Amino acid sequence: MLGRFFSVLTIFLLISCSEISMGSGNNGSNSSASKFEDSIHGTYASTYVPLQSENIIIKNSTLFDGNGNKFENYDIHFSDGDIKAIGSDLKDENAIVIDGTGKFVTPGIIDNHSHMGVYPAPGVSTSSDGNEATNPVTAEVWAEHSVWTQDPQYKLALAGGITTFHVLPGSANLFGGRGVTLKNVSANTVPDMKFPGAPHSLKMACGENPKRVYRSRGPSTRMGNVAGYRTAWIGAEKFRNSLEKNPDLRDLRNETLVGVLDGKILVHNHCYRADEMATMINISDEFGYKVSTFHHGVEAYKIADLLADEGICAALWADWWGFKHEAYDMSIANIAIVDQARGGKGCAIVHSDDASGIQRLNQEAAKALAAGRKAGFDISEGRAMTWITKNPAKSLGILEQTGTLEEGKDADIVIWSGNPFSIYSKAEQVYIDGALAFDKASNFMPHTDFDLGVKEWEDK
Amino acid sequence: MKIVNIFLLIPFIIFSHADDMYLIKGGMTFLPNGEFVKKDLLIDEGQIVLVEDEIGDVGAENIINAEGKYVTPGLVVFSTLGLLEIGSLPQTNDASSNIYNAGFDPSKSFNPFSQAIRLNRSKGVSSTILVPQASGYFSGLFSYTKINSGLKQEKKGPLALLTSFGESYSDSRSAELNFVLDLFNLIRNRPSEKWLYETDNIQFFFGSQNDYKFTSRDLQAIELVLNKSIPLVVRVKKATDIITILEMADTEKIDLVLWGANEAHMVADRIAESGVRVVLDPLDNIPDSFDSLNSTYENAIRLDAAGVEMAFYYAQGAGSHNAYLATQSAGNAVAMGLDYRKALKAITLNPAKFFGLENIGLIAPGFDADIVVWDNDPLELMSNVEAVLIGGEMQDLSNRQDELTDRYIKEKDKPNSYRSRE
Repeated sequence: MLGRFFSVLTIFLLISCSEISMGSGNNGSNSSASKFEDSIHGTYASTYVPLQSENIIIKNSTLFDGNGNKFENYDIHFSDGDIKAIGSDLKDENAIVIDGTGKFVTPGIIDNHSHMGVYPAPGVSTSSDGNEATNPVTAEVWAEHSVWTQDPQYKLALAGGITTFHVLPGSANLFGGRGVTLKNVSANTVPDMKFPGAPHSLKMACGENPKRVYRSRGPSTRMGNVAGYRTAWIGAEKFRNSLEKNPDLRDLRNETLVGVLDGKILVHNHCYRADEMATMINISDEFGYKVSTFHHGVEAYKIADLLADEGICAALWADWWGFKHEAYDMSIANIAIVDQARGGKGCAIVHSDDASGIQRLNQEAAKALAAGRKAGFDISEGRAMTWITKNPAKSLGILEQTGTLEEGKDADIVIWSGNPFSIYSKAEQVYIDGALAFDKASNFMPHTDFDLGVKEWEDK
Repeated sequence: MKIVNIFLLIPFIIFSHADDMYLIKGGMTFLPNGEFVKKDLLIDEGQIVLVEDEIGDVGAENIINAEGKYVTPGLVVFSTLGLLEIGSLPQTNDASSNIYNAGFDPSKSFNPFSQAIRLNRSKGVSSTILVPQASGYFSGLFSYTKINSGLKQEKKGPLALLTSFGESYSDSRSAELNFVLDLFNLIRNRPSEKWLYETDNIQFFFGSQNDYKFTSRDLQAIELVLNKSIPLVVRVKKATDIITILEMADTEKIDLVLWGANEAHMVADRIAESGVRVVLDPLDNIPDSFDSLNSTYENAIRLDAAGVEMAFYYAQGAGSHNAYLATQSAGNAVAMGLDYRKALKAITLNPAKFFGLENIGLIAPGFDADIVVWDNDPLELMSNVEAVLIGGEMQDLSNRQDELTDRYIKEKDKPNSYRSRE
């Protein structure tokens, strides 16, 4: 029944280093910056090809559509990689019918903050590739150029229903570099994993981390951090002006920053404290860019209205706190308060930042939902499901393709053994673009090359 | 006599005393046999006195109506609660030491007013086994403390000595094993090395590295293990290392507890034969080192199938600050197939039992009245704690996190200056 093996031939075009300026200074070269504007990510664009998709109707399940709704006894039909319909009594005589009675169906779960691949398992120094901690501004580096395709952690996340994840550089730097959104599929090249059409992101970081890492050379204070961001943006503005005269100018660092100023690259900003998030909004106003999402935001609840007014998402943990001073003012209702701001206009996201937490984002959402209800909010399970589906898709700029169960969208789907807000429920099947990627009953999942030979014992 | 609804308990807390009698009525109660059965509990002078189908008017000062609720022993967690306030600030960390290693006992640093303690208490934790984190070859001595509010907590210790075995940057594990055996011999042959003990607190070096520095206090702590006063807890991941440690403990006649034990499932029968207990987090399924390439969610299940007794801790996310999430570790073990009764005992009875603590972790006459009333299944993450008794005393469940929440919901529209402190 299942295509277990990749039979897709893809050619990864290796580009010679001479074509690309590796430094960060202005460097006129033959290659054109427009290469990166023609299609998303230029020669590094996605070469992802889905596995063999199925034609399936899952009947009579309880279905969370990711748009805030929970439907009982509902059907979903997908084929050719896309969702064809959701509703009652769906029929297609060519479709395989799966009895969903007693099961729950959700969109594929999306984690918009992961370091899988750049901090793979085993966690050894030779593959610790997440922080280019050599300069506070490294907007020129791309996380996708660190990702190890054989990280054995991907399949563990897949068993938790994760179909899409966003890999970010670490938070040592003011500007950590570009992030990349990946489909949770096994491949030998990063472009083969890249989510087609997903915009690049830029990781920025506030607070303790940059000022600690660079304390001897600066920035060593939060005001030093802010001066560092502003100085870099001023440099980016100058570069953009130079581009008008000479469109062939290459400068990796400033290409990323100008991409943000032009609205093509989404800012994902690690920032814990409310006052610092507000400052980052001031900076974005000064230079005319938009923050897509604040990450970690342990104090987001203190400025929930501001975030809602600005249309900024907050990607948060359900309950992490206390590991740093800027993570001390935790409220377990943080996610709920952000969600409910301005009468429900907030964009709250449950993120993991953690190869363990990514395996149970549904449970993290359950804790946040319970805390919100305890704090007095009337929040439905359907609404809480948006925190790990629709909202992260929105924050990553891929909501048109995935994140909800709607006709025409990618058939990224999870079948759960029971209510995903219960600790006893497990993902039973995961479909990515309509192709079966994980099946608990038959122990089907991708195994990386690293898994071979070292596994004395296989997960059931 | 007061008959109080559980939701109205808060005003009574300040007037509650340890010698008050409590009657908890009609809750689905987690009994020693692992069943939830509807029972009444009578609590007096800090202990559970009666567990019966029906207890009439016995003059209890406080009656808690637990109809439709779940009643369990308080969670006993492994943590650094009260020893560590903010992870990145070493000055708020009393869980570690560079002066001592084996002889390091952090329990004197315990701060009952830690915000982490208030949070964990409100989430159903009644006591903790404090985990030492000294930087040397040995990490120090475990101890036990209740986490009731106020200045006075019942403490016990030292309970066990913690060390680690496995991959190391500095040396072969063979050399490190020999070093420990040499150290044991040295201590066992104390008469000929008496000067070590007489020269109090003089540092004794085996070589130049700080890791191998021992004071007389450290050597005395190791002696507690050698004379079987306390168990040795070994943090170890790799299957072959577990066998090495089992054999060492057998030869050296040491009472052994395994900790972490990612690959224990591969040698489950060997562990079961030796009767060694294992403390682990069932969620540790990532092959995060070359010592743990066979990490799996199946670890707890396979150990249980072999007959190994386990206690669970929560080692994910923010760790000790959220030690109460031992319920999440236990609940996931159930989802993977572990018997519910065993999972709940792994976070209540077993942590106490493994470390020689008696009368803690069960709802039975004679046990400490450390009791939690939940609105639903305690292993479900959406359940809430409604009441916590520690040592027979009703606990204040307020915490700074809820206070911050209230401030930004109930007082959201007030200018900061007019917001209250409660």
